[in-house]
Amino acid sequence: MSKNILKIRVGMASCGIAAGATKILEMLQAKNACVIEETGCIGHCYAEPMVEVVYDDNSSQYYANLKAEDKYIDSILSGGDLGKFDIHEGRKSKELLRVLRLAGKIDPKSFEDYCANGGYVALKNALAMEPDAVVNEVKLSGLRGRGGGGFSTGMKWSFLAAKKNAEQKILICNADEGDPGAFMDRSLMESVPHQMLEGMLIAAYATGATKLFIYCRAEYPLAIKHLKIAIDQIYEHNLNNLNGRNVEIIIKEGAGAFVCGEETALIHSLEGKRGTPRFRPPFPTDSGYFGYPTMINNVETFGNVPIILKDGAAAFASVGTENSKGTKLFALAGDLKYPGLVEIPMGTTLAEIVFDIGGADRNEVKAVQTGGPSGGCIPVELFDTPVDYDSLKTLGAIMGSGGMIVIGKDRCMVETARYFLDFTHRESCGKCTFCRVGTKRMFEILTRITEGKGTPEDLPFLKDLALKIKKGSLCGLGQTAPNPVLATMQYFMNEYEDHVIRKTCTALKCKDLVKLQLDQSKCVKCRLCIKNCPVGAISDDFVIDPEKCTKCNSCMDMCPKKAISCVAKNEN
Amino acid sequence: MGKKFDVLTKIENSPNNLIKGLQAIQASEGYVSDEAIEAVGEYFNISPVEVEGVLTFYSQFKRVKPGKYKIAVCDGTACHIKGSPLIQEWVKNELKVNVGETTADGLFSLESVACLGCCSLAPVMSINGRVYGKLDRKAPQKS
Amino acid sequence: MSVEFKIDGKTIVANDGETILLAAARNGISIPSLCYNQKISHTTSCFVCVVKDVKTGRFLPSCSSIPAPGQEVESSTAEVRDMRQTSLNLLLSEHVGDCEAPCTLACPAHAKVEEYVREGKKGNFLESLKIIKQRIPMPMSVGRVCPRFCEKDCRKNVTGEPLAINDFKRLAADLYYETYMEDIPASIGKKVAVVGAGPAGLSCAYYLRLKGVDVTVFEAMPKAGGMIRYGIPEYRMPKTLLDKEIKHFTDMGIEIKYGMKLGDNLSLDELKKEFDAVAITIGCWKPSSMRCEGEEFVTQGIDFLREVSLHDTKYINPGKTIVVGGGNTAMDCVRTSVRLGSKDVTCFYRRTEAEMPAEKLEIHEAKEEGVKFQFLVAPVKVEKRGEKLVLTCQRMELGEADASGRRKPVVIPGSDFETEADTIIGAIGQKTNAPACLEADKFGNLAANLGDNVFAAGDCNTGAATVVEALAGGRTMANSIFEAVTGEKVDDNENPIYVSRGHWRHLAKDDLVYVNSACSEAPRTKQSLISIEERTSTFKEVAATFTEEQIKEEGKRCIECSCSAKGDCMLRNHAKDYDCDVDAIKGEKLKVAYDNRHSVIIQDRGKCIKCGTCVKICKEVVNNNLLSAKKRGLYTYIGTAFDKGFPESCKDCLECVKACPVGALTIKKM
Repeated sequence: MSKNILKIRVGMASCGIAAGATKILEMLQAKNACVIEETGCIGHCYAEPMVEVVYDDNSSQYYANLKAEDKYIDSILSGGDLGKFDIHEGRKSKELLRVLRLAGKIDPKSFEDYCANGGYVALKNALAMEPDAVVNEVKLSGLRGRGGGGFSTGMKWSFLAAKKNAEQKILICNADEGDPGAFMDRSLMESVPHQMLEGMLIAAYATGATKLFIYCRAEYPLAIKHLKIAIDQIYEHNLNNLNGRNVEIIIKEGAGAFVCGEETALIHSLEGKRGTPRFRPPFPTDSGYFGYPTMINNVETFGNVPIILKDGAAAFASVGTENSKGTKLFALAGDLKYPGLVEIPMGTTLAEIVFDIGGADRNEVKAVQTGGPSGGCIPVELFDTPVDYDSLKTLGAIMGSGGMIVIGKDRCMVETARYFLDFTHRESCGKCTFCRVGTKRMFEILTRITEGKGTPEDLPFLKDLALKIKKGSLCGLGQTAPNPVLATMQYFMNEYEDHVIRKTCTALKCKDLVKLQLDQSKCVKCRLCIKNCPVGAISDDFVIDPEKCTKCNSCMDMCPKKAISCVAKNEN
Repeated sequence: MGKKFDVLTKIENSPNNLIKGLQAIQASEGYVSDEAIEAVGEYFNISPVEVEGVLTFYSQFKRVKPGKYKIAVCDGTACHIKGSPLIQEWVKNELKVNVGETTADGLFSLESVACLGCCSLAPVMSINGRVYGKLDRKAPQKS
Repeated sequence: MSVEFKIDGKTIVANDGETILLAAARNGISIPSLCYNQKISHTTSCFVCVVKDVKTGRFLPSCSSIPAPGQEVESSTAEVRDMRQTSLNLLLSEHVGDCEAPCTLACPAHAKVEEYVREGKKGNFLESLKIIKQRIPMPMSVGRVCPRFCEKDCRKNVTGEPLAINDFKRLAADLYYETYMEDIPASIGKKVAVVGAGPAGLSCAYYLRLKGVDVTVFEAMPKAGGMIRYGIPEYRMPKTLLDKEIKHFTDMGIEIKYGMKLGDNLSLDELKKEFDAVAITIGCWKPSSMRCEGEEFVTQGIDFLREVSLHDTKYINPGKTIVVGGGNTAMDCVRTSVRLGSKDVTCFYRRTEAEMPAEKLEIHEAKEEGVKFQFLVAPVKVEKRGEKLVLTCQRMELGEADASGRRKPVVIPGSDFETEADTIIGAIGQKTNAPACLEADKFGNLAANLGDNVFAAGDCNTGAATVVEALAGGRTMANSIFEAVTGEKVDDNENPIYVSRGHWRHLAKDDLVYVNSACSEAPRTKQSLISIEERTSTFKEVAATFTEEQIKEEGKRCIECSCSAKGDCMLRNHAKDYDCDVDAIKGEKLKVAYDNRHSVIIQDRGKCIKCGTCVKICKEVVNNNLLSAKKRGLYTYIGTAFDKGFPESCKDCLECVKACPVGALTIKKM
């Protein structure tokens, strides 16, 4: 071999650990062959556990889908073919790593690693400028809030900066990533904690904030651990001294409430109260945490800030669309080949993301859901849409924080909408009528429809109620909760009609509208189905009793001959 | 305050740390008892009913003692699409326990969680915090 | 600094920091709200107070929004009303309780049952009578002859027999009806003619008189009371009592002219000329035909009963009697025949006992008195053979259900048989016999409003019904007439919004709630009856009035179902104003606990709208942090520490109770 291994990076973010990376790390360390580094998220979750072998000629090679077996370890160390992994061309060509530039490349726990790769240059640049000039630079960059709303970050900063006489100013990083299906913030915090913290320090300098909170989900223990280490390092290197003004950085763990993603609810939660939102105005920049002027940005927004201050607003704005600048992280999941974390320039089309990067089958995809429970679905016919804040809004979806769920043709859109409403009605804080009762009623109607008990009258009623909940809810949760229903009704009305008029679920996903059928001609009488049926619904002569059957699909999964299939209930 | 809850003493007793205090109690006790609520209220100078109001708002806090093995089945979007309701059903049948309950022998408790953040490994569940991904029917039985 | 803005195009000046809601209120524009309370910081919960911002199209909670200079909002457009209505409908869809007690809702007159029962329980029988007479001006009669709609819907039916509600009326009336006289206001100078002195006419006269209207009643018969006198037998309603009951009406200054029959010696045109309005309450006096051959030999039931009454019960023994029909009139006929001395009385009915429309008690008592029944038989022909009558009948069987939901009797071919009798009475039903001057509908009934200030009520409007229905109709008509002659709107204090915990048939024992206090589980007090000998040989009243002690005990059995905030529930009041419908939005209602452990305060969580006003009152006004919202979303509830209930000392404060916009926090009904 002409080149030698310099070091091996093992992806040790949550996904990697869940996939078994710890064992791989231990086995590699035991070999004592070279430097083994723990690194963050490499972004290819479908391929975890994953390692990157770095050679002394600066080249590198990924090994993925590893198993804790010696032959894999040997292959890694010897440059063998087993487990060799190359990023597919589609992704390589479309992805643009800016925020995630260092994710999976450095040790998240190492301050030196971060600095050695351009870290804290931006803070240094900022401190050399007047605070207002920093605000201006962010304004010029066109950066918009990455948490979903898309409000101009620079504008928001200027509001806080304008509070010249405030006794204290508060800066909050919203790291309460609550959308089910989104994990961009977790990955960034786990993999490059300093990047977001650097952004926060720059913001604190620019706006005059003195107290910096990170409100992070308690479900992200690794992110919290890495943040704590990074904060200690900041104190150690006196980076919290912003031209003579010391700031304090405090991590607060959320306690499980989706509504705390809403600014005023988050502030209440930080104050140690119930996380209920309140009416705005006053806006937090006027009166927030305990009445102090307060500004909230999310993790990815802060993660973008160092790029602006390092390379300049113009460089930042060199990619993106007219009104949406820079890149955006997406957590790709659902019915596609390569789920994972991607970063793409604003303006990339949905087709490029879903098909080229995600590797989804063009013939099998029905839609994509953006923005999680607050967003909407976009049908495959509209996948030529370039992704930015405004285009998605026009389609009835939202950018959201970046969750992107690919929905295959065999999914039921009514069931999908019902699922999101199940989530939101449970997460409603209960304060205002439209959200508390309205989302529950929507959920009930959708449930009725998926059970085949819906009526055609339910559809206009549902739509009317949905629109009123949007108009009459206090906070963003209620205002966006009906989106999944409105969007599916806009694009997939035929599926709703199938359920209420023909009482069928074309996708065969709604339990009450399907039945399991056993094809006697394929059956080899092995009795596996009978043995595995938890409710004794299969008779000795291999007939499934539809009354008893709970459609758990155990028999279907067990049948070696695939003799059992799911068909529409009203089909003979 | 009894020695039992002296984890609180490590936390500054300003009211904004109430949630932190409750988290500390839960970390050490596994749940928040009536007694703990009284203690927390006293420590932060907040009336017990307000403490209750706060802790019942957040899904993280448990008011009943959890089992030795805490099973959390993820029902995030990706997991849901990949069949987490079935996983949950199997666990329920296997352990004869409902979501939010602890088995009679105190060994297992089951909960459904919004998202464990490992969507690409869906469906996932965690047992005492350790995440198991890409589950099929047999996986839960093994554990 | 004041701010100028516009509501519905009207310029309003808001004071510094004043919300849209308050600025509007100061300028006489009322915006509804449930959660706004001036004593506390805003809760922004109910969203009933929304207004639309014209520029942005957004809906703003006016209780929390400070107007911007030049801002324009809409508060009375259809769109805004629709949003408010939906908000209220959503709240109603999760509201668990009983706006009104089921007994009151079942009563055609909507008598305030729970209230008069409560007074009876306490021994305040005069007070009880006053409440009864607000809706039932003939409680002596109703207390005896009512089929007790109220008791059929009584929740006590879940665990046993219903409360003996009607007996409360009877005792209160027997004790105080004769001595209690209402305050009669001075004449307002309006004159109304009432045609017919039956219950509907007298009721109309009564309520008009109480509003200062001069009323003259024209009656065709020699005495007043209508069907109560001429249709209901003496043994159910002694006529000496009826005379007393009617005397009260004339004592109130209502004039009754006898022997005056509309279309005969009384002209509608003359009445219209002489009076400001005419009320038609001529009843149903025309018997329905049996539609069989030889009907001329048949005595009509209501004619028979009338003759017996006109002869003061001294009427001829009808001999062997067959009564055809299954309703209450048929029961009155058979039991009257028994009392006239007949030893052989049979009721023929074409369906089975289960389908008989007569009251179960009437059937039971008839059987006790020796009356025989033949079911599934229908008359075909009546012949006279010598002194005797011969009735030919066919046997029937039950077929498919008909429009009324009852199974239709079908003839069994070749099943004809003959029966001999001295008297055959037909009691198939009766119809309105409207004079030519009035236009009837295809059923022979008169419309409630006949135009030209002529109104109709009672049996002639509804078809043959009960006394209490006639009284209710008379009262409603009195209101219509009053509005017509004065142009003033009558506030009937009725709110059509009724949230209900459900009919008792759908409730199990565990579903019953005793929000106010525990109630007695003792069995229903038994009515004492005179002996069978007396029942079969005299017309003496069969059932005795309960004693005062019995009523006081019986009263303890009442569950007191209705909401203790029914008078001042803001949800219900706004729901009425916004034409809400409690069933507009359907969905699961959570079964939640109520707490009546405190000596004074009731917390009924099912009625809570989660506005949190009580929490803030206790915290911000009383400075006493005893309440907090717990859990979240639809499961949010307001609780005390560890849900141990309100401390006894709260009885000296009650600020939270006073502030609760609905019935979630109330004071116990005393």
